[in-house]
Amino acid sequence: MVAQFVNVKDVYGDTLRELGEKYPELFVVEADLMKASGSQPFLETFPNRHINVGIAEQNLVGVAAGIAAVGGIPFASTMSNFMTQRAGDQLVIAAGYNRFNVKLVGSYAGLTQEKNGGTHISVLDLAIARAVPNLTVVVPGDCLELADVMRAIAIYDGPVYLRMPKLLPNDVLKPRQPFRIGEARVFGNGEDVTIASTGLTTSIALEAVGELAKAGIGARVLHMPTLKATPTEAIVKCAAETGAIVTVENHSIHGGLGGLVAEVVTENVPVPVRRIGIPDAFGLTASLDFQLDHFGITVSAIVKAAHAAVEARRRGT
Amino acid sequence: MNADSEKLRITADDIRRTTFNAINHAGGGHYGGSLSISEILACLYFGVMNVDPENPDDPDRDRFVLSKGHAGPALYTTLALRGYFPVEDLKQIDKPLSNFPKHVDRLKLKGIEVSTGPLGQGFSISCGMAIGLQKFGRPGRIYALLGDGELNSGQVWETVMTAAKYRLGNLVAIVDRNGCQIDGETDDVMPLEPLAPKFAAFGWGVQEIDGHDVAAILEALRQAQSITAEPQVIIARTVKGRGVSFMEGRYEWHSGQVSEEQARQASAELGAV
Repeated sequence: MVAQFVNVKDVYGDTLRELGEKYPELFVVEADLMKASGSQPFLETFPNRHINVGIAEQNLVGVAAGIAAVGGIPFASTMSNFMTQRAGDQLVIAAGYNRFNVKLVGSYAGLTQEKNGGTHISVLDLAIARAVPNLTVVVPGDCLELADVMRAIAIYDGPVYLRMPKLLPNDVLKPRQPFRIGEARVFGNGEDVTIASTGLTTSIALEAVGELAKAGIGARVLHMPTLKATPTEAIVKCAAETGAIVTVENHSIHGGLGGLVAEVVTENVPVPVRRIGIPDAFGLTASLDFQLDHFGITVSAIVKAAHAAVEARRRGT
Repeated sequence: MNADSEKLRITADDIRRTTFNAINHAGGGHYGGSLSISEILACLYFGVMNVDPENPDDPDRDRFVLSKGHAGPALYTTLALRGYFPVEDLKQIDKPLSNFPKHVDRLKLKGIEVSTGPLGQGFSISCGMAIGLQKFGRPGRIYALLGDGELNSGQVWETVMTAAKYRLGNLVAIVDRNGCQIDGETDDVMPLEPLAPKFAAFGWGVQEIDGHDVAAILEALRQAQSITAEPQVIIARTVKGRGVSFMEGRYEWHSGQVSEEQARQASAELGAV
C-alpha cells in the first residue's frame, strides 16, 4: 500500500508564519493563488509583508526580485506551470541572471494538479529550472522535508526554485535527518539496483524496495531533494555500487530527474538506466492515483523496470 | 535658465558626446535610444538623486533602474562622469569578458542596480524595490527609465497596476517618449496614444514634458518627489538620436554603426571635447 498523500498547504502556510516570525525581512508574494499555496496564515499574521499582484506571473517574479534587491527574502508562489512557463523569462533573467535572493515556489506540481488537467499539469518545469544558471532547484519528498527545505532556503543567499506538489506523504523519510541543500539521501543498502527518486515518488520507490526484496533483488533508494546543486557524487557512488539504476519522478522523463541521472551516469560510470515518469505526453484530467497508474509510476512498474535494469547489467548491455 | 540648469545642460551635452564616442569606439550599437536620454540622466545623477559613488551600497540611496537596458552606454557614461569609475573604462564597452556589456549587468559593475535587457522586467523589479523600501520604511526612491516601445510589453501594465495598488509614492517612472522602436515609428508598430490618460486611469500621477529641457525635467522630478501618495510617471518627449542630425527622429538608428565620415560629422555636431 502506497503512503497516503495529504495536502501540503497547511505545512507551507505554517512554516511561512514560523519563518516570518524569525525573519522580519521575509515577504510572501502571491499572484491570486494564495488559496492554492496556503499562505493565508502568513497574511493573517503579517499583512504588511504579504503582497498580492493579481493574476500576473511575470510581475510576480519581477516584484519578488525587487524586494530581494533591497534586502527582503521573498517567497513568491504560483502554480509550477505558470512559474516556469508563463514567467519563464523572468525566472531566467530576474532570478537567475540577476542572482537575486528570491524563493520561487511552483505549487501544484506535476500530476498533483489532478482534475485541472493537461493545461495546468507541469510536465517540464524541472527541465526548465534545471537549465537556469545560478538557480538552485529543490524538490521535497514529504511534508516534514518540505518544511525543512523552506527553513534551509530562507537562509540560503541565492535564487531557488522550490517544486511543491499539492500532495505529499506526511512522514516517510525515516529516520529523519536535517535537509541540506545539495545532499542526497540513501535508504537501504541493497547492492543490485538503485531506485533514484525525487519528490512524492520517493514514497513509491521506498515501497518498491520491499517488493524487490521478496524477489531476491537488493535495492536501495537514492532520494534527491536537491536536483541542483546536483548531488553528483551520491549518484556516481550508487551507480558504481549497484550497477543498475531506475529513476522515478512526477515529471517528464525528459530533462527532469531521469535526464539528470542519465547525464551523470553516462559521463561518470555508465550503467543501465531505466526511466519512469511522464513520457512525451501532457497530463490528464484525472486524480493523482489514476494518473500515476496510467503513466506507470507505480510500485509494480518500478519492480519491473528494476528487473529489466538488473538483467541489462547481467547481459552487459 | 538658472545656474543649476545651465550646469546640467552642459553635463547633458557631455554625456551625449561621450556616449556617442563610446558607442563608436565599441564598433556600433544603440545610438538612437542612448542619445535621447542625456538630459534625463544628467538631471537624475547630477540633479536630484541621492547617490554617492564612494558608497554605492548605501541602503538609503536612491536607485536608478535602466529598464531599457540597451541604452547601457549612456548609463555607463553617466556613471563614469559621476565618478563611479574612470571615463577611460568606457573603452571596455562590448569587449569580450568586459564589465561593460551592451545590456547592463549588476553583477559586473558597482552602480548598476539591476541587470536588464528583456523589456518590462526592469520596471517590474523597480516596483518590487519600491514595495520593499516602503515596507522597510526606508527613504530611498526608485527611478525607472523605460523606452516607449517597451510599453508594448504586458509586464509593464501588470507593474502599473501593482504600483497603483500599493500606492508607491517612492516610485518614479520616466518614459523616453522618442516615438521610435526597432521596426518603425511607435505609432505604426503599436500605437500608444493617448498615453498620459492611460497612466492616469490606472491611478498614476502623470506629467508630460520636453525631455530635452533640463529645467522642465528638474521641475518634474521635484514635483514627483513632493508626492508620496501615488506612483508618478514623467512622459519625456524626446528625439531619438538627439544631437546628430542624420539620426534625429529616425527609427533606423535604433542601432547601427556610423561610417568614418558620419562619425566626423556627428562629432562636429556634438561639439569636440
